Amino acid sequence: MSTFSYNQEALKNLNIGDASLLNHLIDFESAREAHLNKVRGKVDKRISLKEAVAEYVMDGDVLCDTGFSYVRTCHQAFFEMMRQGKKDLQMIGAPNTNQSYMINYGSVTFSHNSYVGAEMRGTDRNYSRQLKNGKVKILSEWSHGGIAQGLKAAQLGAPGLFSKQMLGSDIMNYNPYIKTMQNPMRDDSDPVAFIPALYPDVAFLHVQVADKYGNACIYGPVVNDIALAAATRKVIITAEEIVPEINLRYVKDGAMIPFIYADAVVELPFGAVPGNMPGYYYWSRQWWEKLMRYAAPDEKRFIEFIEEWIMGTKDQFEFVEKLGGAKWIAEARRQTKAAESNNEDIDFRYQEYTTVNKADIYY
Amino acid sequence: MKNDTPANFLEMLAYFISLQIEDHKFVYVGTGLPMAAAILAHKTHAPNITMVYESGGQDPIEGDMPWSVGDPFTWRKAAVLQEMAYSFGQSANGYVDIAFLGFAQVDMYGNVNTHQIGKDLTNPKIRLTGSGGNNDLSSLTENMVLVGLQTPERFPERVDFITSVGHLEGGKSRQEAGLIGRGPIAVISQWGIYDFEPETKRMRIKSLTPGIPFEIAQQSTGFELLKPNGDIPETPMIPPDVLDILRMKVDPNGVFTTMPS
Repeated sequence: MSTFSYNQEALKNLNIGDASLLNHLIDFESAREAHLNKVRGKVDKRISLKEAVAEYVMDGDVLCDTGFSYVRTCHQAFFEMMRQGKKDLQMIGAPNTNQSYMINYGSVTFSHNSYVGAEMRGTDRNYSRQLKNGKVKILSEWSHGGIAQGLKAAQLGAPGLFSKQMLGSDIMNYNPYIKTMQNPMRDDSDPVAFIPALYPDVAFLHVQVADKYGNACIYGPVVNDIALAAATRKVIITAEEIVPEINLRYVKDGAMIPFIYADAVVELPFGAVPGNMPGYYYWSRQWWEKLMRYAAPDEKRFIEFIEEWIMGTKDQFEFVEKLGGAKWIAEARRQTKAAESNNEDIDFRYQEYTTVNKADIYY
Repeated sequence: MKNDTPANFLEMLAYFISLQIEDHKFVYVGTGLPMAAAILAHKTHAPNITMVYESGGQDPIEGDMPWSVGDPFTWRKAAVLQEMAYSFGQSANGYVDIAFLGFAQVDMYGNVNTHQIGKDLTNPKIRLTGSGGNNDLSSLTENMVLVGLQTPERFPERVDFITSVGHLEGGKSRQEAGLIGRGPIAVISQWGIYDFEPETKRMRIKSLTPGIPFEIAQQSTGFELLKPNGDIPETPMIPPDVLDILRMKVDPNGVFTTMPS
């Protein structure tokens, strides 16, 4: 493995003694080696989620979030990592780190952040508490655009790129990977931020449809996922539906991930639950409200919540049953179609979760 | 349903924000109040604006208020849905005219903190969201408008953490740091609209909400506010017909314009 010259001030500010923890994310040679060793032919890569997590997620791996906050995020894969007791992962929380429940169980002990929280549902008080209690260590701090550029550089096959983002901010003082430099083509002063190409170890990409070889089609926001699939050493495609390869030729309505990136394919209906899967189901707003507003502020309530919903369910089907089963599915499907303007507008009003308005069906 | 109750602070803020939006502009919006404001502008004085979102969606068909930037309402039947890196690239390349961002703290030079309360990132008093796209838009967009409620804690002399550079240390320091665009041109709170004095880049009162004296604004600020020459103008109040549009057509469920209880 190569050796690296990190931003020393950031190492000091973040109290990182052993900088070798940082190496894997930017080690081009080992990422290229992993890509060279991927199966070339079109072979049936289907396995179960349990097998995929057992086989491809190693303790200490750099794991990257996918989708966008609640949208098309592989929540059920995260839940399975918890159930299997994976340890000490480095979580790239970009676009989001609303998976802080993984910290309480030791599944995640390091984080690379570009955003922590749940947007309009509020800040993540569990993450804040775990940080203060020393249960999670921040390895690098980013903007959304900065990490997107690092992944994009990897997809382009470039060692990195020069950015105009994050300059002059305190983020630069807390990111060992970024350096302020002078633009080498300019005679006048032109500061730029050098962002290295980023190569996570493992990512689960949840998509609407894929074939058994790993050709995968994303409908709705792609965000970072095409670049991420190109960059990451181990890529697992999880899909709402597996379709024949011919259905994915000449696709116009969606973005494609080529099969060569995929190490495994998992047929996983409801794999983004309790998030939103464009075309398939809207997110469970009340579930997130209960998590962020009721459970997250208090450690005991938080653990009870996670025990009930994640450790206490064996798969996504049990989870959907708890949300309200077939009734929940029908409403979530209706809502996402309405949100996407694919049926008549419906009324999006609902009762927010409170200790008074408890939910029996988690709309 | 006609509602004759006077505008609350959030409704006034939405109106003040909407006034910053000129017609025929490309507008980068996050969720929350700026989104309600942009739609209000679209339905009133700025029917030809185009809205751009961090999720990559732009020019969606209007629907309900989105709870997430990735929510289908930000890319509803949008002709274009770009990867996130390209969406921010539009700002850098000069395709976006104005962007609106929130803050936990803003200082006298328009620097924004959305990271934390407390100075130490490894052990803050409270960890907040961090940047998301806040830093990207602030670093790249031609004109920035910062929006939030005003208290002395939220308007300190120096922010606890510079998530996004505004005018950094004033003068030409933003440009010298290598950032693009004019930086913040306005800060909008319930008490008033502020701009930045052209030389020093210090925050200055542009106009105050009707009925709000200078003292209230100053007492809600942790640094000395500059005053304009002459009398301080009043911000125009939201006209009744615009308030009706806001309540009935923009945010009928009060997602972003209901005061928290």
